[in-house]
Amino acid sequence: MIWQTIMTVLTVALILGGLLFFTGGTVGILRFPDFYTRQHAAGKLETLGLMMVALALALANLHHFTIPEILTSVKILLILFFIFLASPTATHAIVDAGLRAGMQHWRKPHRKER
Amino acid sequence: MKKLALILVLLCWGFLAFAAADFPRLGDPNSPASTHLSPYFIEKAYEDTATPNIVTAVLADYRSYDTMFETTVVFAAGVACFLLLRFYHFSEPPSHLYRHKPSGTVIQVPRGYRLKGEHTELEPIDRDWAPKDPIVEVASRILIPFIQIFALYVVVHGHHSPGGGFQGGVILGASLVLLAISRDLRTAQATLGESKNSILSALGVLIYVGVGAVTLALGSNFLDYAALAGLMGVDQVIARNLGILFVEVGVAVAVMATMFLIYRNVASAGALDEGL
Repeated sequence: MIWQTIMTVLTVALILGGLLFFTGGTVGILRFPDFYTRQHAAGKLETLGLMMVALALALANLHHFTIPEILTSVKILLILFFIFLASPTATHAIVDAGLRAGMQHWRKPHRKER
Repeated sequence: MKKLALILVLLCWGFLAFAAADFPRLGDPNSPASTHLSPYFIEKAYEDTATPNIVTAVLADYRSYDTMFETTVVFAAGVACFLLLRFYHFSEPPSHLYRHKPSGTVIQVPRGYRLKGEHTELEPIDRDWAPKDPIVEVASRILIPFIQIFALYVVVHGHHSPGGGFQGGVILGASLVLLAISRDLRTAQATLGESKNSILSALGVLIYVGVGAVTLALGSNFLDYAALAGLMGVDQVIARNLGILFVEVGVAVAVMATMFLIYRNVASAGALDEGL
C-alpha cells in the first residue's frame, strides 16, 4: 500500500512539473521577440516537459509489476528516449538553417528610438 | 468563359445537393450500410479471416479492390512527379567541385579536366552546397535504424493493432527522406538508386496484383485469398489472414518507394543532385 502511495505522489509531482515546463514553453513562444528566442523556449522546455509527463505515465502504468505492464512502461521509456534525441536535434537544425539564411537576431531597442 | 464555368460548377453542386438529400443521415442505425454490411463485418470478420483488427480485414480482404486501386493511385502520383520534374543535364557545368572529406577543403576542377584515378576521400558536391552538420548526421544515424524497425513492426502488426501497409510504408519512406535531409541526396542515392527505387515502386503494385492473379489462376475470384489455402497447405481462414499480410507488404513497398521517388524529384527540382 505504502508503495502505491509513493508511486501516486511521484506521478502527480512529475505531471505537475511537466505542466509547469509546458506553461513556460507556451508563454515563451507567445511572448519572446524573435525566431531564435522562441526556438529556445520551444526546444528546451517542451522537451523537458514531455519527458517528465512520459516518465509520469510510465510510472502510473505500473500497478502490479506484471510482464505486460512493465513492457508498456518500457515502450513509453523508448518514446521518451526518442523525444530526448529528436527534439533538440530538430531545434538545432531549424536554428542552424535560420543562421545560414542570414536571419537577424533581435536587439534591445535604444531608449531614444522608442 | 468564366461565367460558363461558374454555371457548370453551380449546376454540378445543385445535382450533388439534390442527390445528397436522399442519403441516409450520418450514423443512422437504419441505413442499409448499418443494417446489412456493418453487422456482418463486426460478427464475421474474425471467423472469416482470423484478424482481430476489423479495419484491416475490411480494407485488405473484403474491399481489397478498393485498396488495390488506392495503391495504384499512389504509384501514379510517383510516376507523375517523375514525368513532370525529372530532367537530365546534357551540357557540362563550367567546373566540378569536390570536397576532401577528412579536412573539409573544397577543390574546384575546371571544365575539360578530370581527376585521375580513384579518390575515395573526395566526394562531388554542387555549387550551392551546404556545409556538413555533424549533430544532425549523428542523431539521424542513431534514429534511422529504430525508425525502420518500427516501420516493419507497423506493417506486420496491422492485423492486431492500428497500422498496416500504408502506415508502415510511410514510416519507411520517412526514414529514407530523413537520411536524404540529414546528409544529402547523394548519400541516399547510394542507398537506394533511382532505377531500383522506380522498380520497387512498381514492384509493390505488382505484388498486390500478383496475389490477385494467383488466386485467379487457382480457379477462384480475383483477390479471394481463400484460394491460396491449397497452395500453402493451411486452412482457408489462415490463408485469408496470410493473404492480407502479402497484400500489406506490397502496399508498404509501393508507398515507401513512391514517397522517396516524390521526395527526390521535388527536393532537387528533378536534377537528382545534392538536394535541398
